[in-house]
Amino acid sequence: MLLLAPVNILNDLLLKVFSQETINFVVWPLIQIGLVVTLVALWVAYATYLERKISAFMQARLGPMRVGPWGLLQPIADGLKLLVKEDFIPDKADRWIFFFAPYIAVASAFIVFSVVPFGPDWAVIADVNIGLLLVLAVSSVGVLALILAGWSSNSKYALLGGLRSSAQMVSYEVAMGLALIGALMFARTLSLSGIVAAQGSDSVWYIIYQPVGFLLFLISGIAENNRAPFDLPEAESELVAGFHTEYSGMRWSLFFMAEYAAMVVVAAVATTLYLGGWYFPGLNRLDVAGYHNLYVTLSLLVFLIKASLILYFYFWLRWTLPRFRYDQLMDIGWKWLIPSALINIALSALAIFIVQALDGWKGIKTIEMIDQGLNLTATGKVIMVVFGLLGLVITGLLLSRINWRGRDFNLKSQRRNIRLVDLPKGKPAVPVN
Amino acid sequence: MQVKTPKPTLIQKLKRFFMIDLIRGLGLTLKYNWGAIFDKDAVAGKGIYTEQYPKVRPDVAPRFHGAPRLNMDPETHDTLCIACNLCAIACPEDCIDVLAMDVEIIVAGKPRKKKVLDEFIFDTSRCMFCALCQEACPTSCLELTQDFELATYSRAGFVWNREMLEQGRETVKYTS
Repeated sequence: MLLLAPVNILNDLLLKVFSQETINFVVWPLIQIGLVVTLVALWVAYATYLERKISAFMQARLGPMRVGPWGLLQPIADGLKLLVKEDFIPDKADRWIFFFAPYIAVASAFIVFSVVPFGPDWAVIADVNIGLLLVLAVSSVGVLALILAGWSSNSKYALLGGLRSSAQMVSYEVAMGLALIGALMFARTLSLSGIVAAQGSDSVWYIIYQPVGFLLFLISGIAENNRAPFDLPEAESELVAGFHTEYSGMRWSLFFMAEYAAMVVVAAVATTLYLGGWYFPGLNRLDVAGYHNLYVTLSLLVFLIKASLILYFYFWLRWTLPRFRYDQLMDIGWKWLIPSALINIALSALAIFIVQALDGWKGIKTIEMIDQGLNLTATGKVIMVVFGLLGLVITGLLLSRINWRGRDFNLKSQRRNIRLVDLPKGKPAVPVN
Repeated sequence: MQVKTPKPTLIQKLKRFFMIDLIRGLGLTLKYNWGAIFDKDAVAGKGIYTEQYPKVRPDVAPRFHGAPRLNMDPETHDTLCIACNLCAIACPEDCIDVLAMDVEIIVAGKPRKKKVLDEFIFDTSRCMFCALCQEACPTSCLELTQDFELATYSRAGFVWNREMLEQGRETVKYTS
């Protein structure tokens, strides 16, 4: 407890200079913002380190080892190197847009952290009622940065990267937004802290109710962040470096930071919505026992660990899967993710309707209370879990049935139908019918 | 003629539906990652293959031939070389020069001349490390050791004289 006493001492010290209102609404938020920016910047820096390390381990290599013990100072060395490198702006580039694009990327990624609940009480900067809406709105501004960067570079690779990223974002943003709605039906609020509280009071993670929604959110989140296997905008084997081909030095590293910060954002939102956020069973006993600050700190740690697990999944996926072809990317986005998100919404609504209809019918009690999210009794939970798993199967079967015919219009099928023999020489191969 | 493609069987369809191959791929990378963290046997495909070269010396193969050395008698610290020139004759690259000189010694009260080694020139830039010289040597004096750091800053540095061959060349040993 001694460790956390400074928080209270600091509050007492501040009271000598400011009024309690000023402290609550000006000084503490500023301290929180400083802490969160530092924490996230550090997290982002070490995410790059971990990415290099994990990729190395997956390929039976060692990764960075020379700077500091186990290469732990590598991000700092990289940052220093990038800071002192020349900030090159191409001659024919659109100077101002080229100049500002990285800032848009970083700002849009960092603004989202203002509403992410890292923990209860003082560990969240602003608990706004439209938290999730803000997350979606601001994080999609980040796309604008990529498009502007690609366009203003005046280079064909960058332009192609920008175009690809815009098309990809447009198709995956929809699926991402739709995937969240299922979870929102249970939480009955858009406030991120409220969603965590709803999961806490129901003592269940929404991944159990919403396996389809979680998968959809994760896949479209990965696509949204331009990560492998959806890294078409910066496909290094096709487009040199994609939209940031012409960037160098600190501006390039801003893009890099923005990418990792956006990853952290998606991981944090996924944790909040589907993995229960900072909620950990039994931890609130500490709060009841009077160790409030310890409780908040431990909750913070729980949140960080959960989000880091999702980040690990990002790295894992990147170093396992090859990149999608562009038509496959669009195929997944429009033919699979968006319809399955819609099916998920319909099924969740049906499940909730059934649970509500059953409530109080012939002594079956399914809903415990509804004022803080949808809290179900054990019977209701079982029904929900069954519906969630059924949803996974139904979505898969239905979509594979629908998309079965869709393959006829595919390049693969067309290639199959091309006449290979039987043709007089000198004529190009043409498809049948 | 249409190209016939075989229709997928039920097993294949199920495999595809449950994304078995994707899960197996993820399992493979996870296995490598796990093995790397707990540093299992690298040869079994689970640990880390990378050697941290300047810090940790790599194990070269037992039959590896590297830098040459002229061995000395461990007791008297005289060279074992008898200047017989067999190594120079055996060398297919002609990179060995044995320069002998005669010294006066007294054998059984009478002055005699004895052929001893004066200078030994070994041009490592032309050497192909076939170790024919090592096999020709009757006294096991010339030997190709396992030392492999032969790079120098100049072409002249590749030519080793007797002192270098006997003492070994000074190299920087990195510790970190």
